[in-house]
Amino acid sequence: MTSFRILSPALLRCLGVVAMIAAIIAVFTALEPRYASYGNLSAVTRHMAANGLAALGLTFVVVVRRFDLSFPGIASLAAVTIGFLIASGYGLWFAIAAGLAIGIPVGLLNGFAIGYLRLPDIVVTIGSGSIAAGLAFLYTGGQSIFQNFITSGLLDLNDTRFFRINVSAYFLLAAYCLAGLVLHRSRFGVALYATGENPVAAHFSGIRVRACVMAAFGLSAATSVLAVLLLIAESGAANTNHGATLLMPAYAGVYLGAALLGGASIPATFAGTLVITILLDGFSLLGLPYYYSDGMVSGILLFGVVVFDPRVRRQLRRLAASVLPIAPNSEFRS
Amino acid sequence: MSMITSSGRLPAPAPALKLVGRWWLLLLLIVAVGLFTLERPQMIEAGNLATILRSASLTAIMVLGLNWVAAAGKIDVSFMQVAALANMTAASLLAGGAGWLPAGLAALAVGGLVGALNGVLVGTARLSPLITTIATGGICASAAAAIGRGTSIRIEDAGPIGELLSMTLGPVPLIAVGVALLYLAAWWCQEHLTFGRYVYATAQNEEAALEAGIPTGRLILILYVLSGLFAAAAGVILVASLSSGQPMIGASYFIDGLTAVLVGGMMIRLGQPNVIGTLTAVLLLAALVSGGALLGWPDYQREIIKGALLICGVALAVWMGRSRGQANGRG
Repeated sequence: MTSFRILSPALLRCLGVVAMIAAIIAVFTALEPRYASYGNLSAVTRHMAANGLAALGLTFVVVVRRFDLSFPGIASLAAVTIGFLIASGYGLWFAIAAGLAIGIPVGLLNGFAIGYLRLPDIVVTIGSGSIAAGLAFLYTGGQSIFQNFITSGLLDLNDTRFFRINVSAYFLLAAYCLAGLVLHRSRFGVALYATGENPVAAHFSGIRVRACVMAAFGLSAATSVLAVLLLIAESGAANTNHGATLLMPAYAGVYLGAALLGGASIPATFAGTLVITILLDGFSLLGLPYYYSDGMVSGILLFGVVVFDPRVRRQLRRLAASVLPIAPNSEFRS
Repeated sequence: MSMITSSGRLPAPAPALKLVGRWWLLLLLIVAVGLFTLERPQMIEAGNLATILRSASLTAIMVLGLNWVAAAGKIDVSFMQVAALANMTAASLLAGGAGWLPAGLAALAVGGLVGALNGVLVGTARLSPLITTIATGGICASAAAAIGRGTSIRIEDAGPIGELLSMTLGPVPLIAVGVALLYLAAWWCQEHLTFGRYVYATAQNEEAALEAGIPTGRLILILYVLSGLFAAAAGVILVASLSSGQPMIGASYFIDGLTAVLVGGMMIRLGQPNVIGTLTAVLLLAALVSGGALLGWPDYQREIIKGALLICGVALAVWMGRSRGQANGRG
């Protein structure tokens, strides 16, 4: 902290991320001029909406230092529930409410088992995710549901535009603003961070640690239901493996963002999801086969976690110091 | 992963209950096989038992390495994709005219390499095991699909491994005998070598283990390499058993493997994955699949049962563990 600096490290990181995104877009545009077209950029916002929502809920779980592997299963169950109700002639809003009403309790049960009964998070969420994914087969035995989808107004969630931008993009922005207020500008958000940092200290400070953990898992389930709702609106059919596609991008979004901005937060998740979405979109526009996309997301995630991990960075700094004894320290500071 | 350190409010169970708690999984296996036999006597016919043993053997090989990774307090969720990648590597080499030995060795080398990558990232760079192995698993899955350009690769001849698979020792498939010996050796290593002590010490308190002179970083690296090697071995056997390379070997191995290791860890050594528990759990899952098929249960019912088994198992283990005055917060 000896060097004088005008910009705070946080602002510097933000500027770095913006520069990185600009550089990615510039490279793709140079390789494929269609990248900067209106059609493609609006596809980016649409793709980002579903992944961004799933990552949003996961952020809360990561903030309380837990893992949730159940949200793909919960999303599949909710997808088939919503599809089944719409196919049976119920209204869109009723179906969405039912999807949430079936997904959120599963998340709260996870949170109860992990927060109150203190069971290990990974095991419990693998188990409950498996149960939820199994229950998703109860409706049709695994077949896609698409009856009544056009007349119900479900597809409008994907197709409607305001000012030439998809309604799902507004939806995503609204969700992120709301989540940002909750996590960064409310007592509850501070309690979540305290729970993650030091549950014992948080407990003695009067924070209801267990309730915080339970709430985080409930939020994760809720946003995964909303994410899968956008997925079925985009594909026009609900099936049992819709949820599984959410797992990788959600984890990559949260952890890449946390690596880029130095900790899990709502802006970090937004940045992480945005970087991953524009990269994936660019590669698919360049004609890369679909089966590379998971590997690509995984590679980006691994790269982000390795390069931005404080321990790895410290070692890099030590390496740099030994190679260049007079290298200015400030360049490598986090 | 961390647990809150306030004491549990549940009462301590009685000693007799404790014995049941220690061996409940074996009891459950016997009860399950008994119930299935009551409903469908074909369950314990020699042919059906051989089928159960064959499928259990394959899962058992795949998760032996994972078992110790979990015992050391880490997790490896990439094992299924490593098996798929090894499977596709071997299949593509065989389809290209290579012999079984080079193809198998190449597949094992790929598995070992991915394991080493996991091990360096988790053991040396000390990254989160879950995030690291989710990411390496995703890369393996993509690589496996890329080898076959998104589809499977057919193999004409199942080769020497195919012959070994079809061999039997009396009524028992040879591979089951091999796996039994392998697990016996693994049990001996775990109970009688310092290796086993080191693994469980690492799970209890990694910092303290390091201070006490255990090279935890190197130990974790070795465990992940073993996990990669065993998963790859199962992948190579699957080439012969399926006569093809499948880029998506089937998500069922994923949930089966994790359930077997984590539920198996709820037996004998409460809250600590161990080879005997894992083997019992693998047999239980194979019996469930076979019995469920005989009774005509659809696939998803078995998934629900497995998930419920996993949660009940971990709840039981945490309860039992807490009564001993320690909360095993492994996750």
